[in-house]
Amino acid sequence: MTGKSEAHPKSILLVEDEKEMADEIRSELEGRGYLVRAASIAEAADAARVGDVAMIIMDRIVFGEDSLVALAGLRKEGVKVPVLVISALSSIDEKVKGLKAGGDDYLTKPFAMVELVARVEAMLRRLDDVRTTKLRVGDLEMDLIEKTVYRGGVKIDLLPREFRLLEYFLRHPGRVITRAMLLEHVWQYHFSLETNVVDVHISNLRKKIDTKGPPSLIVNIRGAGFMLNANA
Amino acid sequence: MLEFFRSSAVRLALAFVVVTTVAITAVFGLVYLRIGEANEARNRLILEAEAAKSVDRSVEELRTAFELRLTHDLRRIDYAALFDANRKVMFGNIDQLPAIPVDGKSHFVAATRAPGSQERLEPAIFVARQRPDGTIMLLGRSLLESLAFRRIVQRALAAGLAPMLLLALGIGVFFARRASRRLDAIHDIIARIMKGDTHLRLPVASRRDTIDKISYDVNLMLDEIGRLLVQLKGVGDNIAHDLRTPLAVVHAQLERGLESSNDERLRAAAKQALIHIDKAMLTVAALLRLADVEYGLKSRNFQLIDLSAVCADLFEFYEPLAESKSIKMTLETQSSVQILGDDDLMREAVSNLIGNAIKFTPENGAVSISVGREDGRPVVRVRDTGIGVEPAERDKIFQRFYRSASGHRVPGSGLGLSITAAIANLHEFDLRFDDNRPGAVFEMVGRGNAAEQPSASASPRALKSKAPLEL
Repeated sequence: MTGKSEAHPKSILLVEDEKEMADEIRSELEGRGYLVRAASIAEAADAARVGDVAMIIMDRIVFGEDSLVALAGLRKEGVKVPVLVISALSSIDEKVKGLKAGGDDYLTKPFAMVELVARVEAMLRRLDDVRTTKLRVGDLEMDLIEKTVYRGGVKIDLLPREFRLLEYFLRHPGRVITRAMLLEHVWQYHFSLETNVVDVHISNLRKKIDTKGPPSLIVNIRGAGFMLNANA
Repeated sequence: MLEFFRSSAVRLALAFVVVTTVAITAVFGLVYLRIGEANEARNRLILEAEAAKSVDRSVEELRTAFELRLTHDLRRIDYAALFDANRKVMFGNIDQLPAIPVDGKSHFVAATRAPGSQERLEPAIFVARQRPDGTIMLLGRSLLESLAFRRIVQRALAAGLAPMLLLALGIGVFFARRASRRLDAIHDIIARIMKGDTHLRLPVASRRDTIDKISYDVNLMLDEIGRLLVQLKGVGDNIAHDLRTPLAVVHAQLERGLESSNDERLRAAAKQALIHIDKAMLTVAALLRLADVEYGLKSRNFQLIDLSAVCADLFEFYEPLAESKSIKMTLETQSSVQILGDDDLMREAVSNLIGNAIKFTPENGAVSISVGREDGRPVVRVRDTGIGVEPAERDKIFQRFYRSASGHRVPGSGLGLSITAAIANLHEFDLRFDDNRPGAVFEMVGRGNAAEQPSASASPRALKSKAPLEL
């Protein structure tokens, strides 16, 4: 438990044995103002237990050791720290295993850094979430119980799939959302697509919610994905 | 049938029959000849000895002896007579001295009137001997008995040879059929292996015969080919594996460079590079995914999943994309098509087919998805009115990295159909292609063990049976 007291409360622990990968993740996240610490599986588990870590990014296999065992142990103890599992093992079985063991999200190598950052930010953001029945961004309001959406007091009719899509954006306002995140979390599709079908869904949703004309509530982030404009 | 006679096994069987027949005939023939000869030789010796012994007897003694001999000869095969010096018969059962030298040696006479008979002629052996008193003693024995004996042997030969021939033929055909059945089985298995069931092996019985030995060797060869194939794919997969981190790192560094640099020329170059690295990462990810499906997931636990639900879900997912291209997309489902499988993988496979169909279909075209059972076998079929597949390219589309020449400008890894085929194979489905004139039909059909020949009448309502698939 060395350095526990000096640690930034919002630091991210990185458990990754591939040095180049670890360096890239670290400089990427540090470039965005996060404090990143490298740790072994045991160090990460200890830090999580005392609660001085914002989240853990862990490789599935670290120096030949399966990190899911430690993760499952932590969850059993009731430790709730968000964990992003990254892995070379891309099969769905492995993803399911990773999520079952207590991972909050799962990312398969190779991935673009925007993908990692988007997921990290979505997870850190979730910390602030409280159980709520209403989501609101600007004048857009969603009632999760009534399944209704109003913008500036005017009701917007959405198809169920459009409702789910908008809900995901409303839960992560001002955050970059990648296409893969939408596929995985809105449609539960754990594979990559070679078509722009997600973009079409977004553009259909835009047509319905942008009742006040441009700029759109959902903006494209070049090379990354989309973002719900929180200040709209 | 012609093929049956052409097989080496049948030729062997026929050769076996011929050799057996010749051998049996030879043995019988030898026995036949030997028995005849031995009988004759024995008779000759006896006659000569008797003649020599009786030379010194008186005429009266001879008469008595002859009478006694002829009385006892119930079979009527003995000849005995005494002739005077003028060769006139004195007594005995033969009137004329046969035309043989009077030398005490036995001689063969082909046709002699039978003893006590007027018309029967038969072969016999005679010994004529001059006695001291000038008379000539004649002893003889009919060869009728040994002829009869020969006939018995002949008949036995004839009676025995036919069943023996049949038996030999039967045994030959039995072994030939057994051998050809085994060879046919081997032929079938090899055909299936060539079709892609590379895990199959030839049966090796415990007989340790030539076919077993060859089967064993072929199996070793198949193992080796399989090992090489795995190795070859492994090399590709390892390359993909090793490229992951460098690609991700370069990608990240370019992204950061792009953010921090204001040099427009550098930024443009970095943007171009990123596009290509994205493509490379897509390919690497797809390759690794393919390897996962092909090798990593064999042990996965399949569950009952509903193909109709999978298709309905994907239909809803792809509908906006089709609408955006003014493509009319339709879905025909039966209430529930349950199979044992993996939900996510099946979703991926069908998603690839639908995605491709929309991708390769021009505006105002049509894509139809149907799911159901045909002859008890689950079928998912995706039809489009798109660019189709050139006949020359049809056997290549399931190969890794293959993309139609006309489809080259459409982005993609070229591995989508390979992954779909691998997933189909994992679920014991066949992925097939057919011409939709215009456009393409891709269908995944469960192999099942239901009826082999599809019959149009048994097809469920929504799914019209098509012409046989040409693959």
